Amino acid sequence: MTGSGRTGAAAKRGGLRAAVAVVVGGACLFPFAYLLLLSVTEAWPFTARWPERVSLALWRRVLGGSSALGASFFLSCLVSVVVASVSTLAGYATGKYIAFHRRKRTLLLMAYVPFVMSPVVLGTCLMFLYLKAGLVGNVAGVVLAQIIFAYGFSIVFFSAFWNQDIKALEDLVYTLGGSTFDAYRRVLLPVSKGVLLICFFQTFLISWFQYGLTLLIGAGKVQTLPIKVYDYINEANVYYAAMASCLLVLPPAVLLWINKRFVFKPL
Amino acid sequence: MFLDVRDLNKRYGKEHVLRGVNFGVAAHETLSVLGPSGCGKTTLLKVIAGLEEADTGHVYLDGRDITQEDPQKRGIVYLYQEPLLFPHLNVFENIAFGLRLRKMERPVVRRRVEEMLDNLELSGHAGKMPHQLSGGQRQRVAFGRALIINPALLLLDEPFASLDVDIRATMQRFFKRIARTFHITSLFVTHDLKEALLMGDRMAGLRHGSLKTYPTKEAFIQDPETGVQREIAFWDGLIDGAPEAEIP
Repeated sequence: MTGSGRTGAAAKRGGLRAAVAVVVGGACLFPFAYLLLLSVTEAWPFTARWPERVSLALWRRVLGGSSALGASFFLSCLVSVVVASVSTLAGYATGKYIAFHRRKRTLLLMAYVPFVMSPVVLGTCLMFLYLKAGLVGNVAGVVLAQIIFAYGFSIVFFSAFWNQDIKALEDLVYTLGGSTFDAYRRVLLPVSKGVLLICFFQTFLISWFQYGLTLLIGAGKVQTLPIKVYDYINEANVYYAAMASCLLVLPPAVLLWINKRFVFKPL
Repeated sequence: MFLDVRDLNKRYGKEHVLRGVNFGVAAHETLSVLGPSGCGKTTLLKVIAGLEEADTGHVYLDGRDITQEDPQKRGIVYLYQEPLLFPHLNVFENIAFGLRLRKMERPVVRRRVEEMLDNLELSGHAGKMPHQLSGGQRQRVAFGRALIINPALLLLDEPFASLDVDIRATMQRFFKRIARTFHITSLFVTHDLKEALLMGDRMAGLRHGSLKTYPTKEAFIQDPETGVQREIAFWDGLIDGAPEAEIP
């Protein structure tokens, strides 16, 4: 093949790759773009190809604080941050305890129980206890129920992280004269920074998208964002549902960017 | 004896890992402990370091009973088969680790680490991360990190086992040199007969949890249990041209 022939074939391959990238990228981004479009739509009658009227009125109301969606968004953020923080830290400590326990397999199996159970089944099991404790229909009850679920995941996640190499690093700090505090501050936490962030991200998502458990334990009074989305869908309020869905996608997207920027890249 | 181990026993469930282990190590002496895999070598070292608890028995260091002491207070550093450098710290900070724990002043830390790097022949590598070093270099950093805090006793758990033959020989010479320079008292466990003979001032053998010490290298060589005689017979057989020399 001549030089110009090779250049032509390479250009063709490059063009094909670009086309495939555009198609795949478009397919991934289309649902989000469509949601965004719906969230700024005021009227889009059937058979019309494009919305008749678009405006930022919904966004203005949410950002201005006059919509219940804004309150739901902040409530969801609060619930998910608390659930993710508590279950990540508790799972980190419990995972270590279980990883080096002589009954590791049994304990790990027990940790799997809330995690493999459907959230709705878990919520139903907890309902009686929660009713007795006065935890149904309030934020504390929802947070606690979600923690039980996310904590199981966190334990399973960290029991794989705590291995003999990490234990050896910890022991090394002790023989070099360090305390338990030194071991965590100078070695264990820096070494586990990446997995802690990943677990926080995962448990945040578990809580963020939680619907069944929140609906059961919250008894409809704790209006997190997924509850709002389903309410709007049930009301056939498409534009509000789209708006709520946009808000639902926002924090995971930010977390995904943080993970990509600070966790996956150095690995 | 500087290190005195008396009647150590350790069980894991039904398995009796250490059976009444008794031995001593004099100051500035290296005792080689030869034993096959799974004979209890690592458990013995971990009990002495305070990382595992013995069921019965005592460990004395310089006349002090340290059996119940925390590993932090013993002044004993345990060196693993793998160098186990702190992966988030560079060579300088790995070596400085023990000094930082002791909250030494920055200029002192810098001076002592630079001296140590010089001793380890790693002066140009201070800023490198562990993954940028070769196996031998990593093991030298691990030695430096242990030696810089002047430990009373160094426990070496097959430290060169993961290195290839040439680097292993270099590291063995390196250890002999630093053992002289730093007047190290150490316990060197290995499953390699030649390494045990090369590294130790005195020898011991550990089999099925029971330890036998030898007063001299000659006594070790003469004992049929150590396998030295079989090894000699093998090489003699090869030299004499025996076609089916017995595998030692």
